[in-house]
Amino acid sequence: MLFNSLTFVAFFAIVLALHNAPLPWRAKKVNLLVASYLFYAAWNPPFVLLLWLSTAVDWVVARKIFESDGQRRRRALLGVSMAVNLGLLGYFKYGGFLLENWQALMNTIGVAWTAPGWDIVLPVGISFYTFQTMAYSLDVYLRRARPADSLLDFSLFVTFFPQLVAGPIVRPTQLIPQFQTPKKANRNQLLWGLGLMTLGLFEKMVIADGALAPAADAVFGADHAVPFSDAWLGTLAFAGQIFSDFAGYSTVAIGVALCLGFSLPDNFRFPYAAIGFSDFWRRWHISLSTWLRDYLYIPLGGNRKGWHRTQTNLMVTMLLGGLWHGAAWTFVIWGGLHGLYLGIERFVRGRWGDAKVAKTAGFRFGLALLTYFLVNLTWVFFRAQDFRTAWRMIQAMLGLPAGEAQLVLSSYLVTVVLVVTVGMLAVHWYMRNRRLEDVVARTPWWITGPVWAGMLIAIVITQGTGNAFIYFQF
Amino acid sequence: MPSSTSSSDRDPVILRRIPEVRWPAAALAALAIATIGIGAWETYWRVGQQVVPAYRNSDGQWAEVRRRVDRSEPNATVFIGSSRTQFDIDLDVWRELTGVHGVQLALEGSNPLPILSDIADDEDFRGLLVVGITPPLVLMPGIGAREEALEHYYKESPSEWVGTKLSYPLEASLAFYNWDFALFTVLERQPWWPRRPGVPFEPPEVRRIENMRRDRQADMWNRVEDDPAYNAIVTSTWQAIVESLPPPPPEDVARAAFEELLANVDRDVRKIRARGGEVVFIRPPSSGWFREIERQMTPRERVWEPIVATAGAVGVHFEDYPELADVKTPEWSHISSRDKARWTRALVGVLKQRMAEAGMERPELGS
Repeated sequence: MLFNSLTFVAFFAIVLALHNAPLPWRAKKVNLLVASYLFYAAWNPPFVLLLWLSTAVDWVVARKIFESDGQRRRRALLGVSMAVNLGLLGYFKYGGFLLENWQALMNTIGVAWTAPGWDIVLPVGISFYTFQTMAYSLDVYLRRARPADSLLDFSLFVTFFPQLVAGPIVRPTQLIPQFQTPKKANRNQLLWGLGLMTLGLFEKMVIADGALAPAADAVFGADHAVPFSDAWLGTLAFAGQIFSDFAGYSTVAIGVALCLGFSLPDNFRFPYAAIGFSDFWRRWHISLSTWLRDYLYIPLGGNRKGWHRTQTNLMVTMLLGGLWHGAAWTFVIWGGLHGLYLGIERFVRGRWGDAKVAKTAGFRFGLALLTYFLVNLTWVFFRAQDFRTAWRMIQAMLGLPAGEAQLVLSSYLVTVVLVVTVGMLAVHWYMRNRRLEDVVARTPWWITGPVWAGMLIAIVITQGTGNAFIYFQF
Repeated sequence: MPSSTSSSDRDPVILRRIPEVRWPAAALAALAIATIGIGAWETYWRVGQQVVPAYRNSDGQWAEVRRRVDRSEPNATVFIGSSRTQFDIDLDVWRELTGVHGVQLALEGSNPLPILSDIADDEDFRGLLVVGITPPLVLMPGIGAREEALEHYYKESPSEWVGTKLSYPLEASLAFYNWDFALFTVLERQPWWPRRPGVPFEPPEVRRIENMRRDRQADMWNRVEDDPAYNAIVTSTWQAIVESLPPPPPEDVARAAFEELLANVDRDVRKIRARGGEVVFIRPPSSGWFREIERQMTPRERVWEPIVATAGAVGVHFEDYPELADVKTPEWSHISSRDKARWTRALVGVLKQRMAEAGMERPELGS
């Protein structure tokens, strides 16, 4: 079920009431587990079977890995976990993509072959929970952690509804221990959790869906070329939309967990104030970037095997990171561009990173703008439905002739995009080296209260379209 | 190696810091201000704009009504069509005269023929299907404006089903809780936005013109009838929509498409009859500029007559019956809420008479 739905409001009220009822801790955990399965089943009940499969396989495999001494057996067991989890992902998410590309390859070499129909519904959030359970088996395999003692705790770790379908992707060592002792939010935790939920819903319903989505949809949905101005405005709108949508989800997830007495890690830290791309990836979808770092980049050798190998590892990690987002070549290009940016940054930093000018405020501000500019170019590939649209947009944004161009955005949409984008960049820059908690702590209650009320009013009168979060499809 | 998953130097449990704020005071202030603000917004719509709470006509509501056919009422009388069918039929009067509470499945701005096909394929349906024809709309490819309603019916998730139920009490209580009064919709239609040169003209969104009931009967909002300025907004919207329609396809393409349409109607009506059901067609009234445009674009003899003839069904055109033409259509396209009961009575009478003449009496009509 969606956070931005009445169903979730009712569901959460019941869960919260049960969690605060005078029940034993084990009963409360069972309540949370059942609630999490209901939360997932509310989209498509049969897909709960996938959660059970993933839970059962990693529970058994991790214990067997832990009990085994032989490296070959341990590796084989890890292979079982990888095969099941990546197999699920491959079947549901990449099956159609692979068939389509195989068909194209066959046709290119002159073999007339048509792929069978592949009308498979993608289980929501499958990329998130499969990565989370794989982390568990990998941690045990890498001897970073012991298996969980309780199947109930482990099942809850796989299924915990606040972050089940769109993260943050939590490490077992961050969450399982929290289930071991009774948790209940105190008054301040509960109110701060509700405040975070309000902020997240404001980002999603008001900024992403209400203010920015119409402009992004109009520009990327146009069946003709658009001029420089609209191409940029549409891309800026999408940049703001994807941030507000995804960071909004993460903020609600953190708030929901906090209301129940649990702590989830940050997933975003004002990424549009990033100076450079390694900084960007420390601020954008942190739980995925650290997952890829720890379970892919470092096992590949990281930066320990020379310059060329480091660049290759970076590129492989980012290409696969791109593919994680969706089964399409546009996502691969998106990842590839980020890999390229990271590689160039590493090269430039090695050569000129210590130059005096690189430390001046003006230069750093300029670098932040350059980073934002280049990130926007990558968003074109992320949002465009095909390469034709992406290339047309890139041409327009770089001022290259792109055919008969026609404006699509009304003065209303232009105004909304500019106001929201400037506002968002100002907030990100102001918050670059600050934490939200610190800023709120320094703000008197008679300002916090009205700001909170303003967001509540905006959420209610925007009404919401009931749009799913963009990252659910990944 | 860490002793267990209960601790790890690498990814330790993160304890979120709670800002030191006077939280109860902040929360109470937020609650009070939000209540006042939302109350003021509600008052503005109720008092300033004469809005009364009504249902939102959501896809979930349509799906709920659609399920009546295949769950509990296979012998139902079902209405499909565009907004005219939804506005013009008075379900209470229909029930009073026939004993049947009709299933209202008409969708605004939509072509009913794909819905006809869907019901024809529904093995459960064996009742009477009343198809409202709005000539320009039946020529559209696909369903049109409310395409997602049918998709929603087939793919509705448990969460969406619950959401629809939870939404009803709010819809019935809050005037502002309506698509037409959402913040960004209201902002976008303000007159202060200058026209951006070079942007192609887009017709405005259709404003709210109805009060929707839970059973999907739409009654014309009295402001459309009584407020000349609001009435002018609605009629100018109809004009803008029609004038911005793409040019018709070449004659041979249009002819081929229409022949396919007729073949589909023939097939669908046969399917329904084979199960013991029946189909009738109605042409609700229109007037003024709209009526003239319809005459020019879709003359009766080129659209209405062939459809009814192909179906071999009873067809009731308002022009043929003075009692069906003698109604007020304040914005050219829909019957006034004050006239709909009279019109429905007349329609039931005509249908009974025509069905009897054709030897096709139906229990659903009480005949």
